Amino acid sequence: MTAAALKEPGTKQLLMGNEAIARGAMEAGAGVAAAYPGNPSTEVIDTLASVANDLNMYVEWSVNEKVALEVAAGASYAGVRSITAMKQLGLNVALDFLANVNLTGVKAGLVLVVCDDPSALSSTNEQDSRNVARALDLPLLEPSDPQEAKEMTKWAFELSEQIGGVCLVRSVTRISHSRGIVVLGELGKINDRAFFDPGCPPYTTIVGGGAPKYHKALHDKLDTVAAIYDSSRFNWYEGPEKPRLLIVTSGSGWLYSWEAVRRLSLTESVGILKLGTTWPLPRVLLKDNMAKVRKVLVVEEVDPFLEGNLKGLAFEWPEKDLLFYGKQSGHIDPFGEINTDIVSKALAGICGVEYVSREADYRKKAADIIERFAPPRETQFCAGCPHRGLFWAVKDALRLDGRGGIVTGDIGCYGSAAGPTGFSQLKTMHSMGSGIGVANGLGKLERFQFVQPVLAACGDSTFFHAAIPALVNAIHSRANLILLVLDNSGTAMTGFQPHPGTLTDATGSPAPAVDIASLCRGLGLPVEVVDPYDIKGTTEKLLSVLGDTVGPTVMISKRECALITSKGGKRAYNVSVTSELCVGESCGCDRFCTRVFRCPGLVWERNSKKAEIDMAICIGCGVCADVCPHHAIRREESQ
Amino acid sequence: MSLRGKDPLNLIIAGVGGQGNVLISRLIGQAMVSEGYEATIGETFGASQRGGSVTSHLRVSRDHKYGPLIPEGDADIILGLEPVEALRQLALCGSPATCVVTNTRPIHPMCVAIGQAEYPELETIKESIGRLSGKAWYVNASQIALDLGAALLTNIVMVGVLAGLGLTDLRPDMFEQQLETMFQNEKLALNMRAFRAGLTYDFGKPEK
Amino acid sequence: MRPGACQEIETKVLKQDLCTLCGACSGNCPYIVSYEGRIVVRDVCDLPEGRCTAFCPRVSLDLDKLSLDSFGKPYDWDRPGPALHVGMARSADEALRRSAQDAGTVTSLIGLALEEGYIDSAVVTFFDGEKLPRARVVSDKEELLRSVRSNYTAVPVLGAFNEAIAGAGRERVGVVGTPCQALALAKMKMSGSGDARNVGKLKLVIGLFCTWALLYPGFSDFLKGKVPGPVLKFIIPPPPTKILRAVTAKGTTDMPLEMVMPFVRPACAFCLDMTSEFADISIGAAELDRQPDVPGTDALPAWNTIIVRTSKGYDLFQEAIRRGVIETAELPAKTLEHLNHAARAKKKRALREIVRKTGSRKDLLYLTSQPLMLGDLLEE
Repeated sequence: MTAAALKEPGTKQLLMGNEAIARGAMEAGAGVAAAYPGNPSTEVIDTLASVANDLNMYVEWSVNEKVALEVAAGASYAGVRSITAMKQLGLNVALDFLANVNLTGVKAGLVLVVCDDPSALSSTNEQDSRNVARALDLPLLEPSDPQEAKEMTKWAFELSEQIGGVCLVRSVTRISHSRGIVVLGELGKINDRAFFDPGCPPYTTIVGGGAPKYHKALHDKLDTVAAIYDSSRFNWYEGPEKPRLLIVTSGSGWLYSWEAVRRLSLTESVGILKLGTTWPLPRVLLKDNMAKVRKVLVVEEVDPFLEGNLKGLAFEWPEKDLLFYGKQSGHIDPFGEINTDIVSKALAGICGVEYVSREADYRKKAADIIERFAPPRETQFCAGCPHRGLFWAVKDALRLDGRGGIVTGDIGCYGSAAGPTGFSQLKTMHSMGSGIGVANGLGKLERFQFVQPVLAACGDSTFFHAAIPALVNAIHSRANLILLVLDNSGTAMTGFQPHPGTLTDATGSPAPAVDIASLCRGLGLPVEVVDPYDIKGTTEKLLSVLGDTVGPTVMISKRECALITSKGGKRAYNVSVTSELCVGESCGCDRFCTRVFRCPGLVWERNSKKAEIDMAICIGCGVCADVCPHHAIRREESQ
Repeated sequence: MSLRGKDPLNLIIAGVGGQGNVLISRLIGQAMVSEGYEATIGETFGASQRGGSVTSHLRVSRDHKYGPLIPEGDADIILGLEPVEALRQLALCGSPATCVVTNTRPIHPMCVAIGQAEYPELETIKESIGRLSGKAWYVNASQIALDLGAALLTNIVMVGVLAGLGLTDLRPDMFEQQLETMFQNEKLALNMRAFRAGLTYDFGKPEK
Repeated sequence: MRPGACQEIETKVLKQDLCTLCGACSGNCPYIVSYEGRIVVRDVCDLPEGRCTAFCPRVSLDLDKLSLDSFGKPYDWDRPGPALHVGMARSADEALRRSAQDAGTVTSLIGLALEEGYIDSAVVTFFDGEKLPRARVVSDKEELLRSVRSNYTAVPVLGAFNEAIAGAGRERVGVVGTPCQALALAKMKMSGSGDARNVGKLKLVIGLFCTWALLYPGFSDFLKGKVPGPVLKFIIPPPPTKILRAVTAKGTTDMPLEMVMPFVRPACAFCLDMTSEFADISIGAAELDRQPDVPGTDALPAWNTIIVRTSKGYDLFQEAIRRGVIETAELPAKTLEHLNHAARAKKKRALREIVRKTGSRKDLLYLTSQPLMLGDLLEE
């Protein structure tokens, strides 16, 4: 990534959308970048972190997205261009500040990149963040491929400075994570004379007339932007002079629509207005293009944002009779991601042409074969994952305790514990830090005869991001709960980015680490530390804490992520199965290790009817040796 | 059978998380870009990586950018790092014209390990692939990789096989050039050996 | 996942309050364990049949079939089990009698069996007065003597038995247990489930008389602050005193039985076996009448009532007499009459409770064989 990022201007690189966005920031001379990791946005700041030292940029993995945006704002106030990138859910965390800074404005360009996740491929929701642009009166840009992502990001800094406000660049997974050719431009110069003028009017709405005045001023800014958008190079029309149908599309919709029109051989009758600037609406441009037709198909991800807004525009244009198709007409589902097939089907339906992507009997044959012969792959904890050991102990402890204990969950790899890989232990999972929040509620129900133990699980990164306020709440309210902090030394889910609890920062330099145990003890909480590889010890400790808990307590499950361990190459143990001792399918075992414990390093060998260790996958943690009820799994310390 | 000159060329690389699917899609893509092609790669990773299916869609064209997802039925080649994944992608995106080049070594999903599902025999997979594709080639690339020292080289071996079959405009020297930009010293030598082992793999007759 | 046999244990036994904590379902597999006075199904298997349901005395209990298998004749609802001999017995060792529960007969017989090699191991109950009573496997008389006491609580002794016979090293095993445990052991022998050779290691069953058992740890919490030290043994003297006597090193505490009754396991209400009808030898206090509703039995000096049921049991009994390890006497007619009456009363009570629970005489819960005179038994 570094090499590609710094190559000579003019070279063509196959860059990921997020890398291109980072490159755009570099070409704009951004000096500060801050973010919290979140798919599909993580690579933006990952890339900038890898070049930070070379370019003298300040790059930070902040504790959460709100702080990240605030960091960027601080830099902007002091005249340094700054960028922040977050996934759609991270935008929600930053929303409170964003809903204020839109009004107070910024000085140096501040670009907020939000990466939505249509179909929630790695998220808990698929919200359409463009709605925030409209709600907060922010200029919005939607790139359609990596090259454009770079161009738009770079230009967004200029726009931001022109209007003195935050600009939103909205990407989606298929743009952020797809690779396309990007032509590298010159690197921009970073302002190396940061200065916050103490004499300037304060950045707040409570001085200078109140929020409504700022609100009006913001509307005026937006009108300026709309005029700029009308002639933006990011919008263009492609198609016949007199189309019978106009497709209005943005973002990933552009290439899907282009290919759909081609495949259906409709290039003579269907035109495409590709928009890169989607809020405020480029009204003149839109009217000029919609004037050509009676029918408009809107293609976009995820909500009918453009579609609804275009209808609003059309309503002010009563003399023009327009029919709109899209997610509100039933031609495209208003949920899930779109693709060329979906657009093709809609187009074919509207234009009255036939669309057959594949013959029906081939499709049927294929579906039948999949069902019979292609077993699905569920998400699972990796071999040696400490979460497996931890949730095994939780499962056993809660069962033995017998009072119907509940575990609330949070965001991270361990979120999979809502499913079989984590023995279905998590009973709730919503947003960052919500596990302990919900546990606070459950932990105050004694007066309603509630006797079930309450546990909340969160990771080390999530702990710093969002769990601390709810933990403080639990102390003051004396909520009966046990906070399980699953500390695997990093933000594992998104690629091991550092966080305030780790010993390095975004650029790999040493940094002070905030110790979770000390912090909790400093709050006056009882803290236990367990090793999740020691499932017996962890179960016992949990049982004793469960039996003894009044008010909040903390249990830290401390063991580094198995992927880090296995990258190091060393195995703690050589693990093997003594097949004569393996009881296998019969009563007394019923494949306890492979069927219940479910580590991918354990395989059920159908021919010999014995469990085996898959040496290609096993990392040598040795935990399964304590699981086998007949001591058939041996672990020997390796040299 | 040749896909030389097909425009766009739609290649799907199908595998399981951890097999280095993403690496080879990038290297192949970059190789084509260096020859003046437009290329788009769509990848699925993130939560799906932990033991899940990983698929790369690679689209190469002389004259236009294409979207990152290959439309249903338009897959020209499925390059399989894992046989059931190759079958799965063929069934989802393929057509009777699709070519399949796949590794034969299985990676068992969890449901198979716990006895809730069967992993099909290789003969069944081959038969199914045969029913849904135009032509298919099978190689135990994992074994070749293991013999060279690491299962991790399976993906590079498979690219070698693809290049060796001469189905596409990807010439061996183009790919080797990319390996040189990515690796140095022993790692480079090892990857080169893996690539060449795939390149020179002797199929005899192509299987259907 | 298809539900497995252990699901049946969960839904038909545990959730129905039928579990006696005999332990027969535990110690066989990782799915069912005993913990702190409870059976816990900690994970679920998907085998349709297993040792758990085959051994459980509260699942599909066909008393006729079991009696035929154990004794060669159908089950007799009127009698307290078959008997080759009924009488009184006590340990010949006076010191042992003092420290033992009643008259030390169980300890003497097991001790002899170990010495003579009838068995190489015995599964008994160990209770130190502080921690929960638990099962213990002893290999010689010294270890045995350290374990002697009964405590009116249910202990999952058969879990320890299952574990003992699974490994090597214990080839001839004896068990001292309650009626439900003797029942489960009889079911085990009949089922031949799992490795028949292992169940064949069971060589001797001494069953205790039992009207009810207490729930730990609830009862141990109740005791806290009421007794001056660790309890050495519990005694229930005969009526009219309706008390439970806790004997400690620092003195004796009497508690009204009505305060103790809330801690009786609910499952005991559905149990019809007072005298361990399926053991080789059954032993209880000769002072009967632990129920308040059977009045005025004469108090007797500390003797055990002994019922010898099988030839195996008889051999050991005769050997014990021959070796002077135990003393015997005739059981007074009135005591025998009360014994029969009390045993029958327990059966009637159990049937009544079962029918009350199911709401129908056609559904006898876990019993799959019906007494011919069910109606009579219920009306008496």
